[in-house]
Amino acid sequence: MTATALRTAPSGPGLRARARGGRLGIVALVLLLGLVAMLVLGSRPGDYVPLSTENSTPSGTRAIAQILRGHGVDVRQVDTLARAAVREPASTTVVIANAALLTGGQVRSLVDYPGDLVLLGESGAALAPLGIDATEEAVVVPRTVAAACDDPDAVAAGTARVDVLGLAADGPGATLCFPQRGGTAAFGRAERDGRTVTAIASASLLTNAQLDAAGHAALAARSLGRHPELVWYVADGFDPSLLTWAGSGSGEVPGEIDATPDFFPPGTGSAFYALALTALIAAVWRARRFGALVSEPLPVVVRASEATRGRARLYRRARATGRAAASLRAAAALRMGRRLGVSRTDGRDALVRAVARAAGRSEADVDRLLYGDAPPHDAALLTLISELDALESEVHRP
Amino acid sequence: MHITGWTVALAALGVIPAALTQSRAVAWAWILGVVALALIDAWLAAPPSWVGVRRDAPGSVRLTQSTHATLLVANVGRRRVRGAVRDAWQPSAGASGERHAFALRPGESETFRTALHPTRRGDRHAGPVTVRTVGPLRLAGRQRSFDVPARLRVLPEFASRRHLPSRLVRLREIDGRTAVRLKGAGSEFDSLREYVVGDDVRAIDWRGTARRGEVVVRTYRPERDRRVVIALDSARLSAARVGDAPRLDASIEAALLLAALAAHAGDRVQATAFDRAEQARAASTGSRIVAPLAEALATVEPSLLEPDWPALVRLVESRVSQRSLVVLLTTVDTSAMDSGLIEAVAALQRKHQVLVGSVEDPELGLMVTGRADADALYDAGAASRAMLEREAVATRLRQLGAEVVTALPDDLAPAVCDRYLALKAAGRL
Repeated sequence: MTATALRTAPSGPGLRARARGGRLGIVALVLLLGLVAMLVLGSRPGDYVPLSTENSTPSGTRAIAQILRGHGVDVRQVDTLARAAVREPASTTVVIANAALLTGGQVRSLVDYPGDLVLLGESGAALAPLGIDATEEAVVVPRTVAAACDDPDAVAAGTARVDVLGLAADGPGATLCFPQRGGTAAFGRAERDGRTVTAIASASLLTNAQLDAAGHAALAARSLGRHPELVWYVADGFDPSLLTWAGSGSGEVPGEIDATPDFFPPGTGSAFYALALTALIAAVWRARRFGALVSEPLPVVVRASEATRGRARLYRRARATGRAAASLRAAAALRMGRRLGVSRTDGRDALVRAVARAAGRSEADVDRLLYGDAPPHDAALLTLISELDALESEVHRP
Repeated sequence: MHITGWTVALAALGVIPAALTQSRAVAWAWILGVVALALIDAWLAAPPSWVGVRRDAPGSVRLTQSTHATLLVANVGRRRVRGAVRDAWQPSAGASGERHAFALRPGESETFRTALHPTRRGDRHAGPVTVRTVGPLRLAGRQRSFDVPARLRVLPEFASRRHLPSRLVRLREIDGRTAVRLKGAGSEFDSLREYVVGDDVRAIDWRGTARRGEVVVRTYRPERDRRVVIALDSARLSAARVGDAPRLDASIEAALLLAALAAHAGDRVQATAFDRAEQARAASTGSRIVAPLAEALATVEPSLLEPDWPALVRLVESRVSQRSLVVLLTTVDTSAMDSGLIEAVAALQRKHQVLVGSVEDPELGLMVTGRADADALYDAGAASRAMLEREAVATRLRQLGAEVVTALPDDLAPAVCDRYLALKAAGRL
């Protein structure tokens, strides 16, 4: 044992190293924050739902919503009917897009609702209960037409484009405006029980794409902007809840509805949350190495037979039966010659004679095996080599 | 800084208050509390620089044998230190049990052993020593690594030494035979002794008989003090693997066995490993050769260079002036034609006796006999071609007067020694 001095760890990085580490830390922090911000901003899902007020693409209705907000209307989009929670039906307009997707119960709740309603797009079975006696028909040739009715909103708008869907009257209960020549109209309105129900079947006139065309903006602003509050709902067929307002159900405005069913005992969620945090700590615990890995230069690993294997593959690919046979014949001749004491320099005849004598075969046969023609294909090669092996075993017989 | 499993256990306990209060905020608060405790504990832990370390490695060990390194850990600080050290080594040093926990009062020290079972020849270096101290709560602590150089030299296995006793018997047989044999090649005059019945009358030394007044005979013994130069080729071809080990390892085994045998026979042995330059050398002093040769060859690694044979010839010429046995442990294959091996053997053979030892590949032997299908026949054809080419080179070398020994890796050492004994018996050294 050598008596070398004790070594101790250096007492820590110098000031400069620490400063450098600090700078690096700041840079890393900034990068991390930037990354997080990018992720948060980038991950906000874009709204591509047609007729949604958050949708700024041509199929959305963000433009009209912004215009209404600019005029002091409180536009609020809800994702379930129950969240509408209308406080004062008298001063609120409820917009239902794609009412055809509503269930019967939901339609009944709309019928019970005392305030103004606007139906956008396809309304289907919801039209008749709400007092608009009309059926919807597909519009084959879109056309911009005049109001042709005495509804003040329609008259103020002047013209509008009938597109995709139109309303065809089948009763006297509603005023239809902007009719095409065939009779399908873009706009229908019914006044009943002190409220107004408006159906804009050609909802495309409200979209960002067409709002500035014809009299669309005026029609939309007058229809939707009657009251200081506007609740906007786009039906999607997945929401079974009913429209809520002050006076519906118990008479109170219902609050948030907790839709999560309770399968687990209370506290399970937070327990799992705590476990997940523990997993983070465990990760930190396992991630810290007890010292770095020690590296070691290792020698190359090349098999000595690589070159020969490569040559065998070349033979195989070229189906070089002649070359393979020649090599095997020469090797066999060498071995037998050595066994029989025939030197390589003695020549072909001496070897053939010696082998023939040792194996008890005819010289012609031995000559054919050792120096015959190259085998033309694999099968001939197999035959030749098995014969050659037999000859060699006869020569090497003790 | 590092944390222990206790921190994780403590963090896991946070599940209980989180479940009872049904609050994520409580879960967060618990975790942050645990982290704060761990930070305080790490701050309270002794600095790693309070731990002094001394590393001792055994100088050398033969491959396949086990040894151990010792690590002395001392507390040079002012307070009690609890923690652990890691005695890291390179992977093929085969260290096991390299982590040691300690608890030392000021001034105390403790010695730990790390078992080493090396798996590869050469110098194995120790990695850094890592010191971990834990705080009073054992939740966290500090950690630092620092270099404490140490080296373990792993000597060649010398598995062929099991062949040595039988070869020594053969050597003595030559010795014994020549006592009654006529003076001739391979033996030299040893001494005069009295004639006993049975001695060859042709061995009677008449001049001595006349001088002493009684019949005396001359006795002979095998030639001694011949020069043996062993040259190991550590170039390109020695890197290729035959079986599990590079060709060079088989050459080293052969060199060690031959050196041991020749030293016993009273010959002077020099050895050199070279590729384009000399990589290692050793020479016998008295009969000591195996230990210095093993030490010298331990660190020789195959290089991916073409060997410089003319330089080897110049090297041998500068080392020995007398006629010697030059043993070239290399690879005889077709590349010898243009690498200069044949010219080098011719140049050496002019003055010395050359013995070329070459490692054969057992895989080629298997390929030659493969007959399973047509693909196996192509393999057999290629292997036969390689064998014929090697045979042609060997024949060329034999024509120059050199001896050629080709053998499988495990058989090379005894085969080279047998040829050496045959040369010695024939007096061709």
